[in-house]
Amino acid sequence: MDLDLSEEQQMLVDMTRGMLEEHSTIDVVRSMEDDPRGYPDELWKQMGELGLNGILIPESHGGSGQTLLEAALVYEELGRALAPVPHFVSAVMSARLLMEAGSDDQKDAWLEKIANGDAILTPAWLEPDRGFGPVGVKLAAKADGDGFTLTGTKRHVYFASAADRMIVLARSDAGVDLFLVDPAAPGVTLTHQLSQASDAQYRVDFDGVRVAAGDRIGAAGSGGAAFEKGMLDGIILLAAQAVGGAERALEETVQYAKERVQFDKPLGAFQALAHYMADASTGIDGSRVLVHEAAWNRAQGRSISRFAPMAKLFACETYREVTRVCAQIWGGVAFTREYDIQIFFRHAKQLQLSWWDTPYLEELVAADVLDR
Amino acid sequence: MDFDFSPEEQKFAEEVEQWLVENHDPVVMDPTRENFSQLADTPERRAFMKKLAKKGWLGMSWPKKYGGQEIEGVYEFILNEALSRHAAPQIGKGVGIIGKTLIRHGSEKLKQEFLPKILDAEIEFAVGYSEPQAGSDAANMQLKAEKVDGGWKLNGQKMWTTSAHFADWYWVGARTDPDKPKHDGLSLFLIPMDHPGLEVQSLPTIGKDTTNQVFFEDVFVPDDYLVGKRGQGFQMISEALDLERFTMFTLSPIADRSRVLIEWVRTATRDDQPLRNDPNVRRIIAHIATDTAVAKGLSTRFVCAAKEGGKPPTIQSSQYKLFTTTLSQRVCKDALDVAGAAGQLREGQEDAPLAGRFEGAYRATMNETVGGGSSEIQKNIIARRKLGLPKNF
Ligand SMILES: Cc1cc2nc3c(=O)[nH]c(=O)nc-3n(C[C@H](O)[C@H](O)[C@H](O)COP(=O)(O)OP(=O)(O)OC[C@H]3O[C@@H](n4cnc5c(N)ncnc54)[C@H](O)[C@@H]3O)c2cc1C
Repeated sequence: MDLDLSEEQQMLVDMTRGMLEEHSTIDVVRSMEDDPRGYPDELWKQMGELGLNGILIPESHGGSGQTLLEAALVYEELGRALAPVPHFVSAVMSARLLMEAGSDDQKDAWLEKIANGDAILTPAWLEPDRGFGPVGVKLAAKADGDGFTLTGTKRHVYFASAADRMIVLARSDAGVDLFLVDPAAPGVTLTHQLSQASDAQYRVDFDGVRVAAGDRIGAAGSGGAAFEKGMLDGIILLAAQAVGGAERALEETVQYAKERVQFDKPLGAFQALAHYMADASTGIDGSRVLVHEAAWNRAQGRSISRFAPMAKLFACETYREVTRVCAQIWGGVAFTREYDIQIFFRHAKQLQLSWWDTPYLEELVAADVLDR
Repeated sequence: MDFDFSPEEQKFAEEVEQWLVENHDPVVMDPTRENFSQLADTPERRAFMKKLAKKGWLGMSWPKKYGGQEIEGVYEFILNEALSRHAAPQIGKGVGIIGKTLIRHGSEKLKQEFLPKILDAEIEFAVGYSEPQAGSDAANMQLKAEKVDGGWKLNGQKMWTTSAHFADWYWVGARTDPDKPKHDGLSLFLIPMDHPGLEVQSLPTIGKDTTNQVFFEDVFVPDDYLVGKRGQGFQMISEALDLERFTMFTLSPIADRSRVLIEWVRTATRDDQPLRNDPNVRRIIAHIATDTAVAKGLSTRFVCAAKEGGKPPTIQSSQYKLFTTTLSQRVCKDALDVAGAAGQLREGQEDAPLAGRFEGAYRATMNETVGGGSSEIQKNIIARRKLGLPKNF
């Protein structure tokens, strides 16, 4: 038993953190808030140069084929830095879907480009008044000659305006299918929507959008299962992102609690506040070890059907609670735009509400514990 | 025991409610401004305050001698709850903090100058206690007041003066006696907000509105405008807080937000199923309803304690403030959880549930557990004064 990182893993962490400290500063994060494109070129270029976009993509397709554990270490850093990049939608979710279910042609067309950052792909998944589960997918894919036409509405499509392709979850006669669709295709309308975390997300309306048969990913009706499998990997990384964000929020708060004096004492000398921070620290360390165990299990080829949802459930709840407590400790200044803690506060809640929310994860864990 | 208002109080509550319905004006009353809706910060909202004045609803608890009606504070409580439920401006600082302090401690000159104008809703005040180094530790104010010929010269800085950008007069605490212990060296001043030595800088918040910092450069204040006795500032501030418990933190906006959420849950669907059938949603709503009932109970508790007179209901009001502001934040969090992915859409986005009311409120309520005495300060009060625990700070 050993929880230490290997030398290579530590190097990956240091390298990623060093780059992000330079290229994902809080000024960069603020400059991307509500930006319709949502990510800065320089940061994205740096991610590519460090090989981070290909971290999960096999060497045969231009990546470095590392395990989910390495990716989780990178995600903790992305979370710390609040990095505004389309990495998750493209280099994780889309790449995973193509690797899992894509044809050779599709893999050849996209994986290498994703790995070197030349292409951005993004899933178009959630719909108005519908949930996270498979029945939530209602956007219709009607067989039409040698292809399909898509009609319906998607929301929370991140970085859609910058994407080369969306991977659209649609309902066909066979079940849920995945389709590669160009956001510039006729019949597709993108509407930028503002969000709590100020990221670039879109409502995408599909009005009889033509898709060629060759743009379906995987066999008819297999899309739902492929997506769920990709999500199980993905949420471990988002949990790692939550750990990083929570830890940075706490670090900055602890520093402030050492400096800010009221009643002739630094705030941290009040046990009421010190105990909040001790709880926060314990929650963060608990989250991290759970995330590592989930990612390690995946890397070992073991099942993550229980660990993955537990990791996101716990880490996102911790992130949200830590940022609430941190804001409380900063006092009035937390409420001003000028101070940074409010950015973490907004990111934490949005992350918890996205990519399987608390009730959905609770059900996954409960089902795994009780029903099998 | 009687949980109901008396028939007279009930009659007043109904009268106010009816009047507010008849005088409903969306330009004046905007619930999405959350906490900031209590401020009379526009010409329309000031005109509304004048209407309240005409009704005789300002200064009801004041002595008759100063134009009041000498009726119980509970009527002001009823009025403010109704105003806040309608997201109308409230009878805040003028009638409460400033008016009541002037009545008890002010000179005849200040009474004559300010009290009639307060009753007629002619002036709006900003309250300047907090400073960069004086937040929870309010007695630590450093704003310097130097004695000069015929008055005082003020230099320094205030933080968080919420109404400074539209108010007419500034109610300010400053250090007149730096050599005395910190609680005994403060005095209160009244300063016209357009004084050329004052510079107001906006501090935008992540809620709906802005607060301000104010810089003082050689601000001369004539002797007459030092309120009460020199060195008694902190005592007057504390006393005013105690007198003001009735109108300070209203429950209605929080209860109303719960109502709005519940109405939404009643009709919303997910995957074509009514959301209200979801056991998880039902559990959340049950807790919100229960906690809101507890908050109402804690409010009733301090109203009853205040009605009995004698000691100010400090403990009851601390418990109420602690519980209610925490609940307020929790309701917003729960509402986003109920909304699921759509909860992340920003307030104002057409697609957002309830036009993003709760996304906005999630941010806007962040400060409720800090402003007006933070949760930790309330806990200290409860621990020491109610439970008799030793002081440890
Ligand atoms: C939007 C807004 C509007 C405001 N409007 C006004 C206004 O109009 N006029 C005005 O005068 N002020 C106003 N305030 C100031 C408000 O009253 C202060 O923010 C509040 O008193 C807390 O002070 P602080 O922000 O300096 O936090 P701090 O006092 O620095 O507190 C930081 C943290 O330390 C904790 N803490 C402090 N002391 C203790 C202790 N002894 N034990 C345990 N924990 C402790 C606090 O609970 C908090 O969690 C406003 C503030 C805001 C944000």
